[in-house]
Amino acid sequence: MDDDMQDFTADVRRFLDAHAAKAPDRTAFTWGEGDDSMAYFSSLPPEEDREHVRRARDWQRVRYENGFGWITGPEEYGGRGLTPIHDVVYDAIEAEYDVPDTGTISVVGLGMIGPTILAHAQPHLKDRWLPAMYRGDAIACQLFSEPGAGSDLASVTTRAVRDGDDWVLDGQKVWTSVAQHSQIGLALTRTNPEAPKHRGITAFLVPMDAPGVEVRPLRQMTGGADFNEVFLTGVRIPDDHRLGEVDGGWTVALTTLMNERATVGSEGAGPVGAALSPDRLAALMRATWTGEDRALRARLAELLVDVMATGYLNARATRALRSGVTPGPERSVSKLMYGQNLTRAAHFASDVLGPRMIADTGEWGTYAWSELLLATPALRILGGTEEIMKNILAERVLGLPKEARS
Amino acid sequence: MTVDDSGLHELRSAVREFLEAKSPEDVVRKLMESEPRFDPAVWAQASDQLRLPALTVPEEYGGDGFGMVELGVVLEEMGRALLCAPFFSTVVLAVPALLASGDAEACARHLPGIADGRTTATLAVAEDAGSWDTALVSARAVGDGRWRLTGGKSFVIDGTTADLILVVARTVAGPSLFAVDRTAAGLTAEPMETLDATRAMARLTLDAVPATLVGAEGAAERIVSRVLDLASVGLAAEQAGGARRCLEESAAYARTRHQFGRPIGSFQAVKHKCADMLVQVELAEAASREAARLAAEDSDEFPVAAAVAHACCSRAYMVAAMENIQVHGGIGFTWEHSAHLYFRRAKSSQLLFGGPAVYHERLLDRLGV
Ligand SMILES: Cc1cc2nc3c(=O)[nH]c(=O)nc-3n(C[C@H](O)[C@H](O)[C@H](O)COP(=O)(O)OP(=O)(O)OC[C@H]3O[C@@H](n4cnc5c(N)ncnc54)[C@H](O)[C@@H]3O)c2cc1C
Repeated sequence: MDDDMQDFTADVRRFLDAHAAKAPDRTAFTWGEGDDSMAYFSSLPPEEDREHVRRARDWQRVRYENGFGWITGPEEYGGRGLTPIHDVVYDAIEAEYDVPDTGTISVVGLGMIGPTILAHAQPHLKDRWLPAMYRGDAIACQLFSEPGAGSDLASVTTRAVRDGDDWVLDGQKVWTSVAQHSQIGLALTRTNPEAPKHRGITAFLVPMDAPGVEVRPLRQMTGGADFNEVFLTGVRIPDDHRLGEVDGGWTVALTTLMNERATVGSEGAGPVGAALSPDRLAALMRATWTGEDRALRARLAELLVDVMATGYLNARATRALRSGVTPGPERSVSKLMYGQNLTRAAHFASDVLGPRMIADTGEWGTYAWSELLLATPALRILGGTEEIMKNILAERVLGLPKEARS
Repeated sequence: MTVDDSGLHELRSAVREFLEAKSPEDVVRKLMESEPRFDPAVWAQASDQLRLPALTVPEEYGGDGFGMVELGVVLEEMGRALLCAPFFSTVVLAVPALLASGDAEACARHLPGIADGRTTATLAVAEDAGSWDTALVSARAVGDGRWRLTGGKSFVIDGTTADLILVVARTVAGPSLFAVDRTAAGLTAEPMETLDATRAMARLTLDAVPATLVGAEGAAERIVSRVLDLASVGLAAEQAGGARRCLEESAAYARTRHQFGRPIGSFQAVKHKCADMLVQVELAEAASREAARLAAEDSDEFPVAAAVAHACCSRAYMVAAMENIQVHGGIGFTWEHSAHLYFRRAKSSQLLFGGPAVYHERLLDRLGV
């Protein structure tokens, strides 16, 4: 490690030691002790959910004020101007500490929308929103999907019509994660119905408190409501809130989608990490007297092979990044595997637990698995469905011919 | 010694170029039907030009002292090319067995000849059941100082040609490792008919064969366990290379073969098969290379990573080899096409050290499950 990185690492540790406690040693896990939650999505009642978001914002502010809120961002917009490697190093060290979960802010907003604003927005928007987002003051959402435009995102029909210096937006977005907490959203709209569909789209930054924006919670199969429908009715947006060219919004969308794949599907710590930990799964088998079941053991081994190999793949991508090499298809592969690994883990647990997963007996670490089970179908859909990810791998990595498209 | 990324790249190109010249498909096909199933002239060139047998032999024994990472690169290339040569038996089985025995005298006697390509060697553990568990060994060694071995060994890779055969046999102290000379009296080696004809195997009959103890008496369990870790990572690299080759063949075919007026690769069922193969291949390379890296660093995490690599690459290669035939359709099922050669290698590699039931338990054991 060079001196610069050594100094940086020391800085990070100093900062975290001053502001957070060390996370409990995960290797010293004991069955029956601690939180047994396996929730992937929050299913908190609204007040608690708001409290959760407040804690996330507070922690993001502390990070930002100490120079770790936007490690790779340019200094003129409040970033630290360091490399992706510094980012990776920071994340690795932070994982050793017990800090609030900032997913609400960081997955969509900081991970996907921030980089898009930086790449495509006009300077005044960058000044206005980037520091606010990375300081934890503003949350951003992705207003892409519509009832008629999911995998085929380029068929969005929400209209934007020019009116003087403004644009007027009308239409409906759907599945919008964290819209209920957001101050801004990045919307894809149709500005030219005559052009081929990829060429008639324009992107706008929509203040979520603009008149005509209505967010309606959409209940998920987990019971909670992390995502929403967003209705846009006669919403007036100044032209200077446009990202990229008029009718050039597809390029903007690609920036977001690229970052989406890099963000979604990194192996999480916390409850999800616990679901994939060999210790936890072994303890589950011991607690249910299934530890000697040969068929279950074979399945567990197969699952763990995939979990660990996915981990090695991520480690390899990180090392490539550290030595300045752009990682290959690892990210897309690990996104696919992440959804599959968690799905298989939840179904494995269900085979071990049997009826104890269909009703809560109050026994620790049993019914809790149902929370994860109910989240897994989403992981094969969000951020690009399995089928779409496979198309991308086959076409972009293996160079297979494109599908016939309308 | 370890080599940096550009060094590894050079090593890979040199080996690939050599194998493209010396081990194209028609040569593989000719060799797999001949006896011995390798070309001594090519083996001599591999040793003189590329010093391949010397790769992992320590410098003090006349080798080049490289580790698992470099060996992994070479094995990936050999796996791609289905090279018929006594490399796996000599370098991946016998060399680590000698080193793991800690027997300096045996190392000094055998390793220099291996390093310069004069001696080929192998390791004989399994008997008719095919298990590599030393507790199940029934071949016996009697005598003290002057040992004589009696019993049978099966699945001995290159067992009819290896100059030096390291044999596990039981003494009162437990399973122990012995060195046997191929010309020793009382030893007969018959070729076995094999699923994968590119990897020669033999059945040995030992009738009071004179042998030399290697390492301590009763040490074979420890030695074989160490060898299995390293060899299964070596095998994993070979499997990853073979799987990558199957994927490349499938993708190339899917881009060019037309049906219904379009390239078959534009049909999603085919496209997704190829994407699934890619996922398997990426995982396999990550797992085998990570395990090799951890071996080179002598990390505590190596035994787990070795078990993961073995299981992950066994499955990946099998998936890739099966789907490669499917993507090729009828032509993939012909003897003339290379697909079945990879299929045979994939299946036989998956089962070589005992098969899924064994390697799954090995992994769980290491994870404390
Ligand atoms: C929890 C969650 C959070 C989300 N958050 C957001 C968000 O914040 N912002 C946002 O904009 N969107 C969000 N989404 C939407 C998500 O991106 C879409 O659901 C996804 O892209 C799929 O679109 P769809 O639901 O319309 O399904 P469809 O596109 O209608 O797909 C239905 C089925 O058809 C298959 N299919 C479609 N096209 C093809 C094809 N070419 N080849 C093969 N199969 C095909 C799909 O794979 C799928 O199996 C979220 C979704 C979920 C589940």
